[in-house]
Amino acid sequence: MENAALDENWKNCFSQIGPGLLLFARQWARSRADAEDIVQEAFVRFWRKQHKIENRALLYATVRSIALDFLRRDHRRARRETLAFADAEESVQPEFEIDDQSQRSLAAAISLLPNEQREVLVMKIWNDLTFAEIATVLGISQNTAASRYRYALAALKKELIPQ
Amino acid sequence: MNDFSELEKQLRKLRPILPSQNLALRIERALAETRSPGAAAVLSRPRRLNWSWLSLGLGLAAATAILIVARVDLDQPKKETKNIASIPPVAIVPVATEFVPADFTRVVYRTSDEGLRFPSGSAQPVRRFRSQTRETLVWRNPKSGASLRISYPSEEISLIPISGQ
Repeated sequence: MENAALDENWKNCFSQIGPGLLLFARQWARSRADAEDIVQEAFVRFWRKQHKIENRALLYATVRSIALDFLRRDHRRARRETLAFADAEESVQPEFEIDDQSQRSLAAAISLLPNEQREVLVMKIWNDLTFAEIATVLGISQNTAASRYRYALAALKKELIPQ
Repeated sequence: MNDFSELEKQLRKLRPILPSQNLALRIERALAETRSPGAAAVLSRPRRLNWSWLSLGLGLAAATAILIVARVDLDQPKKETKNIASIPPVAIVPVATEFVPADFTRVVYRTSDEGLRFPSGSAQPVRRFRSQTRETLVWRNPKSGASLRISYPSEEISLIPISGQ
């Protein structure tokens, strides 16, 4: 009975956060299939330890850690995180369901953001993490997280409404 | 106050692509491997302890078995030297009375189809299969709990008659 309830819990939880989580993982993965592998590993690892879903920062930190490991493995060489991140920049983009041209432009503008801004944006907009949670995931201060978010929005605005 | 509110609204309208249904199934399967998440959390610690106690127990049992076998060898060196010359190999009977067969496993790790064969004197062809196995026999001493394990490779050839059509 309790197991069934917990079973439903993870399904409910995953149905809510799955798309945002996949988008978050997609930043580092070359393909959607790779991103799903990352999400699967992170979610299962997180849920097995039965962390409360309120502790979302840990889940996103797990995704990020696995994604970076995945990226390093994928490149078959040990690299520092920043280098791996930089390499990912050119080959990966977030995935959205595009309804019209304005959304296409917006998605394209998001893909041009620097990684450190884009990951904050993805966590804030599509995963509803607070700046405190984002700061925990990235190991930065809340102020830095908020700044990166503002820089991201400013960059998007500039990209979408050229002078 | 927030000059990005309109942009944020537009961003929220962008919907991330949904994960495939296969992903949920994969997660379900992976979680099922450790039963439910609750059970996993509850069982994870005791399971580790159980394994460590189990391995400790097995280690002690193995050590006991070795000691008993060693003692049997050490206690009866003179008898054996006498008997070896006069009694055929059946002399290990005393050990067999103490250790009774407890387990037998046979693992087939390779099979190969060697094709049709036409044995002389046979009207129909046969197909020859070769299988390589490892057989493990275990004897246990009910009194002391000691056990003896012997493992050896074996090879078996099967001939299956083929009926022509």
